[in-house]
Amino acid sequence: MENDKRAITGALAAATCTLLGTASPQPVQAQEEPDWNFDTGLLYYGEGDNRVQDLSFDVLARRNLLDERSLTLGFTVDSLTGATPTGALPQALPQTFTSPSGRGGYTISAGQLPVDNTFHDTRLAGRVNWQQPLGRLTLINVGATASNEIDYLHLGLNAQLSHDFFKRNTTLSAGAAVARDTVNPIGGAPVPFTQMQAATGGGGGGEDGEGGGVGGPGESKDVTDFMAGITQVLTRNLLVQLNYSYTDSSGYLTDPYKVLSVIDPNTGDGIQLTPGVGLDGPTYLYLYEHRPDTRKQQSLYGQAKYFMDGTVLDLSYRYMTDDWQIHSQTVDLHLKWPLNSTDYLEPHLRFYRQSEAYFYRPSLNDGEPLPDYASADYRLGRFNAFTAGLKYGWTSANGSDMSVRLEWYRQTGKIPRNMLTGDQLLVNNFPDLNALILQFGYRFGR
Amino acid sequence: MRPTIRTVLSLTLVLLCPARAALSDLPTDLRAYEGKVVIVDFWASWCAPCRRSFPWLNAMHDRYADDGLVILAVNMDQDRGAADRFLAEYPARFTVVFGEGETLARDFDVMAMPSSYLIGRDGKLLRRHLGFMVKDQDEYEAAISDALGRKE
Amino acid sequence: MKTVFRIVVLAASVASAGCASIGVQPWQRDVLARQDMQLTTDPVEAAIDDHIYFSKEASSGGRGFGGGGCGCN
Repeated sequence: MENDKRAITGALAAATCTLLGTASPQPVQAQEEPDWNFDTGLLYYGEGDNRVQDLSFDVLARRNLLDERSLTLGFTVDSLTGATPTGALPQALPQTFTSPSGRGGYTISAGQLPVDNTFHDTRLAGRVNWQQPLGRLTLINVGATASNEIDYLHLGLNAQLSHDFFKRNTTLSAGAAVARDTVNPIGGAPVPFTQMQAATGGGGGGEDGEGGGVGGPGESKDVTDFMAGITQVLTRNLLVQLNYSYTDSSGYLTDPYKVLSVIDPNTGDGIQLTPGVGLDGPTYLYLYEHRPDTRKQQSLYGQAKYFMDGTVLDLSYRYMTDDWQIHSQTVDLHLKWPLNSTDYLEPHLRFYRQSEAYFYRPSLNDGEPLPDYASADYRLGRFNAFTAGLKYGWTSANGSDMSVRLEWYRQTGKIPRNMLTGDQLLVNNFPDLNALILQFGYRFGR
Repeated sequence: MRPTIRTVLSLTLVLLCPARAALSDLPTDLRAYEGKVVIVDFWASWCAPCRRSFPWLNAMHDRYADDGLVILAVNMDQDRGAADRFLAEYPARFTVVFGEGETLARDFDVMAMPSSYLIGRDGKLLRRHLGFMVKDQDEYEAAISDALGRKE
Repeated sequence: MKTVFRIVVLAASVASAGCASIGVQPWQRDVLARQDMQLTTDPVEAAIDDHIYFSKEASSGGRGFGGGGCGCN
């Protein structure tokens, strides 16, 4: 969501995580096999506290060709509005920030979490995949992805190979993806740990797309993914899968719009600034964040699907670790419960926990030497997340499937006490998140 | 080096040469079709390629039944109702066999769905066809007409 | 290198002997052929979720490939 326009690490989203592994399966339907399968979704995502709101529409179209070959085309349009935390801390006085374009500013009330809502963005993403057998027991899938936003371009290629053994009870798969993402931050990529400057207030023009000002040319990052997995049929009703993946990112991984507040290490309060004559801000000292320029992640993922007399249980677990010292665990549970021959209910629970990056800190201490890297982005912090949802689905007479799901996503975090000082210890400044997810789905064949 | 080659070879053989049903194990039913060319086809309603094979099997039946082709489509559905619903939508002009699926599938050592066994007029297994691919249709039909053409 | 190769071949043949007995016959895949028994039942919903969680958390992906299903052809 907001990552698309902000954090460079978000690049991967449109690319590999939707590509490697979630390639559209060939479903077996009780009806005649259609030439085309369409899979559509309409999503509303909304966070509390006037934070991010997102509306998106997804289409996945698969053309079925002779002898297990298929061409899949995907398209997403995504419209993002609202505000996102900047990494700065609330202060006892109102704070004035300069917007990313450098042309204007915004003020946050005393005691409020600083969020930046100065621009909204529309993202377009597309993908294409070709799948075919290579011999009876082998399947190959190759594809490309691209996505574009106002300040971000992603281009990627991917390929997967899978082979079946033991009468197709066992499947071994391997895949790789490469991507090149380029970011042209609005206002230019700031030099890490430099100070947020006053707004220049330059001529008319809107907030979006008016770059220029400080910073050099665009930045880029390269991401390479490898994945290997084994799928095993255990019984007539039980299927399991285990995957290992390795991701290597290098290049510009910093979020050009995020800052850290500089605080007095004794009181825990921000360092106030007096803006120059005729200027509005900034009114406190903020430095732009800096993340390492490489990141290596590994994850182990296991999933089981179990059929119990009409009900389907889907349980998965993922463990992730990386060289930013972030560790995370995810448990995801879906239970599809048929109401009758056409309708079903599907409750969903997800538990997530992550530990902070080694360079994550809520603020920088005035007077101390700067660390190599620092970020106050809550998404690199330590938090737990919980999702609870319910989906209702039905099959219509002509064989199309419709569904609606409503979910609630909550993040609660705690900044480790040993990172806090003075007044910071009195209040939990982790920007807890509460979001609503509402999605409509419609699948049909022609 | 020799022990390694032996290990590799035996491993290769294990993986490539599955046990085959000896022809003497074929069920008694088939003896009734002696003198005919028989296709024993294993299918199920949940199997997409099986569905796709039905029009082709019907065409083979129409074209060669008079010449002595018998198609036995052995149904493997656990739920007879599902098979009936399928046949209501995709009628078969050839013979569909119910209830003997499990036994026949093990006798024939079925390795894929669908599987098709071509048996000559002399009762000998001529070929086994795993899966149903449009690109193999012509070749398979040639094998059928070839089998029909042989005199006993 | 030779020893490693021998061990790998031996392990593979042992694994193949063991693994060969787990699973079902090709004609027993009616349940596995169901749309709701696929590893990714709803690819659009999965992509939407992956995207949401990727944007709000530090982890990504992990979800796997194919396998399972009707095992046909």
